[in-house]
Formats: sequence, structure tokens, C-alpha cells
Amino acid sequence: MLAMTATTAASSAAHEQGVERAAARDADRAMLVVRDLHKYFGHVYALRGVDLSVRKGEVVCVLGPSGSGKSTLLRCINFIETPTSGQIFIDGRPIVGDSDDHAGKDRKRKSICAIRSEIGMVFQHFNLWSHMSVLGNVIEGPIQVRKLPREQAVEIGTRLLAKVGLSDKVNERPTRLSGGQKQRVAIARALAMQPKLILFDEPTSALDPELIGEVLDVMNDLAHEGMTMVIVTHEIGFARAAGTRVVFMDQGVVVEEGTPREVFDEPKQERTQRFLRSMLRYAP
Amino acid sequence: MYEFRFDVVWQYLPYLARGVWITIWVTLASTGIGLVLGIVIAVLRLSSNPILSMPMRAYIEFFRNTPTLVKLVWVFYLIPILFGLKTEALTSCIIAMAVSAAAYIAEVVRAGIQDVPRGDIEAAEAVGMTPMTVLRRIVLPQALRKVLPPLANTFIVFLKYSSLVSVVGVNDLMYRANVISTTTFRPIETYTVLAFFYFVLCYGLSKAFSRFEARMAVDV
Repeated sequence: MLAMTATTAASSAAHEQGVERAAARDADRAMLVVRDLHKYFGHVYALRGVDLSVRKGEVVCVLGPSGSGKSTLLRCINFIETPTSGQIFIDGRPIVGDSDDHAGKDRKRKSICAIRSEIGMVFQHFNLWSHMSVLGNVIEGPIQVRKLPREQAVEIGTRLLAKVGLSDKVNERPTRLSGGQKQRVAIARALAMQPKLILFDEPTSALDPELIGEVLDVMNDLAHEGMTMVIVTHEIGFARAAGTRVVFMDQGVVVEEGTPREVFDEPKQERTQRFLRSMLRYAP
Repeated sequence: MYEFRFDVVWQYLPYLARGVWITIWVTLASTGIGLVLGIVIAVLRLSSNPILSMPMRAYIEFFRNTPTLVKLVWVFYLIPILFGLKTEALTSCIIAMAVSAAAYIAEVVRAGIQDVPRGDIEAAEAVGMTPMTVLRRIVLPQALRKVLPPLANTFIVFLKYSSLVSVVGVNDLMYRANVISTTTFRPIETYTVLAFFYFVLCYGLSKAFSRFEARMAVDV
């Protein structure tokens, strides 16, 4: 309405306001909105204005050569890396830098913790806590962050470990598990927080080829249950089967995005074509 | 040829043995306080805020690079002057040894904290833990497990340092040995027996640590 009253404003400004409103609507519908995200590591310009919108229940696979900023994007979404600039909305709520005074910083820290507890994260190298049992890893978040009573957390943890097929490993130490088992524990750990969204950072890249399937199966089940997922991966077969959308990144920007069919079968950008050719050179 | 007369020392054995408790008490109290202090110092030392880390660096350097004996005497005479308190020799010894132990332990614990995998901390942050929870639940439990061997070493060193408290008149093992030695004129026999006492204590402590380490290792 304000834009309407400002009749003297240049039409470009009015147009910008319109874009802003549309973006805000977008943020209402979407589980995750990333807008104009930039990230510098010292002089390295890792993200050069990334926009991404993920609706509830979508499975977005992010592909791209190493150094393209895929992982950085994921790590910025839950503030494991602090973005240099840009905005992120989770379920319509913004994560933004508050004022820089002490109280403002404290508010920001608290809001980041709250947001993180709603976003699951699965890492390439599992990052399980080696001083705890498998079950301990899964129930730690619910107990420490959600303040659930222990019995309730154990119940959830036991159920989730059964879901990922590890009922017999509940009391085992993470170091005694195979890579595939570790990653399934990590997925159960993320699920235990009942997240609105799970981020997967190359979840199968550190696994023996033989163990990749068991992890992808679990992820595929999640996708079919309607979990919203953003997956950085090199598994084109999985992206095609389980992904609802594919995003191709290079040099810190989104080069191309679309359905798996669009991106894999009819890539429009030369860079995407080149990447897929090299990926599929020895494909069966 | 010198004639060893352990039988002369033998009759003083009960007197010497009572010093064991003093020695154990001084050691446990000072390393216990030193451990708690040392953990706090190590955490603050690693803070990115120089207002917190710089004083801790200074603390560590100062207390690590001054002789424990000097600190003992220093605390013993200085506390009454500074605070007007008349402290028992035993108390001032425990304070002096605790602040020294804290400096050594802080460095040991710091190494352990820095050895905790970055990914473990990221995973903890990713579930929404506050920095304090990450420290309490993820960083310190792992760090302390890892540094148990050097920590045991520090404890054993301080068990031996505790013999210094005899200088300000605390009647520990060392003090009692001095008394026996000057009473019997049998220093060699007395200090041989004394060395045996310290050996048994230190060996027992190191064994206790090994068992504790083994139990903790199941966790890692």
C-alpha cells in the first residue's frame, strides 16, 4: 500500500517493491528461501549471489564441480559459515543480522540456535560423536536442545534407529560401524530433532561404493515421506530417481536449474553440458 | 665399609607413615583444584576475545616459569600480609600448589580441546546446541579423555612436588623423614625408606590412572 501512495516514485522503484512483495509471498510458501547470498573466505569469493527457493516436500539436488560453492551454500543456510551478505528465510521466518550491539548479537545467537534445531544436517564425514554410543548420538540433541525427558528421547531414538535399520547397533560405539552405518546413524540423529528441512552435504562421497546404496535407500524413503531435503551430491542416478529438482552450480552461482529430466537430458547451458559429459564419460 | 642400620629407622616407621595422609591430602587437594581451575583457564585461553585469552596466557606463562618452591614460600608469607589472614601452612601450600598445577593442567587441557575434531563441533552446532552445551557435552568430554595420559603425568609430578611443603613446616612424608634423619643420624637409611614410600604412592597413582584410562577407552 505504501508503494501506491508514493505516486511520485519512479516506476523502477515501484517495480522493485513489487518484486519484494512477490519474494515475500514466495517466502510464505517456501520452506527455504535463499536470496542474493554472498560469501567471501578472505579474498576467495565463494558464493556470488545465490538465489534458491525450496518448497515443502521438495527434494533439491545440488550438483557442480568441486569449488563451485555447493557445500558453502549448504553451510551458510544453517550458519555453520556466516554469509557475507544476503538473506535466508526458513519456513517464512528470516535469519538476519540483528543490530550489532551486545543485546542484538545475543538475540542473533539465540535465533541461530533455534533455526539450526529445525534444520537437520548430514555431513560427508558423518561427524558422529565418538565418546557416545549410537543411541547417545541420536538422543543428545532432543535432550540438550529440545529438553525432552530422557525416556521420551530414548523412545524416539530407538524408533529412528530401527527406521534406518540399525536396531542391533543401538549400544555400539560409532567407531565400530561401517561408513554406511555411520551415515545412517547421522541421518537418524538429524531426524531426531524433527527438522523441517534436512541438508545433506555429499552424504555418500566418503563411502565405499558398496555401502552407498544403503544410505541412498534411507534418503529415498525420506523423500517419499515428504521430507524437504537439499542434497549436495554427485549421485546423478539418485538425483534423477528421488530429486524433484536439480540445481547446477559453478563458480559460486546457480548456472541452471530444473527438473532432473530437464537438467540431465536437455541441459541448456554449455557449462552444464560439459560437466555432465565428464561425469557420464564412463557411465554404464 | 658403611654398615646399613635399617632397624634404627624401623622404629620410626609409624611416625613416618602418618605423613602419607598429609602427602596424599596436599596432592589431591591441589591437583583437584588445579584441574578445575586449569579447565577454566584452558577454555578462556582459547577464547577469540583477547580480553579473556590474554590474561590466561599471562597466568600460564607466569606460573609455569617460576619454581614451585618459590611460590610456596611466597604464598606462605604473602597471604597474611595481603589479606591479614593467618593461614595455616597446609592451606597456603595447597593454594600455592593448586595455582601452579592449574597452569600446567591448562596447557594439557588446551591441547586436548584443540584436538577435538572440528566436524564434531559443527555437528553439535547443527543440532542447535548453544556454545556452552557444545563445550560441556561434546568438547570437554572428548578433550579430557584424550589428555588422560599427560594429565596422569602432571598429577604424579605434583605428588612429588608435594615434598616441598616440608619447607614451611607441614609435617608430610618429607618433613617427617627430615626429623627422623636428624634424630637418628641415619640419613641414607631414612631417605631410602622415604623414596620407597613415594615410589609406592606414585606407582599406585599411575596404575589408578591406567585403569581409569582403560575404562574410558571403551567409550572412544
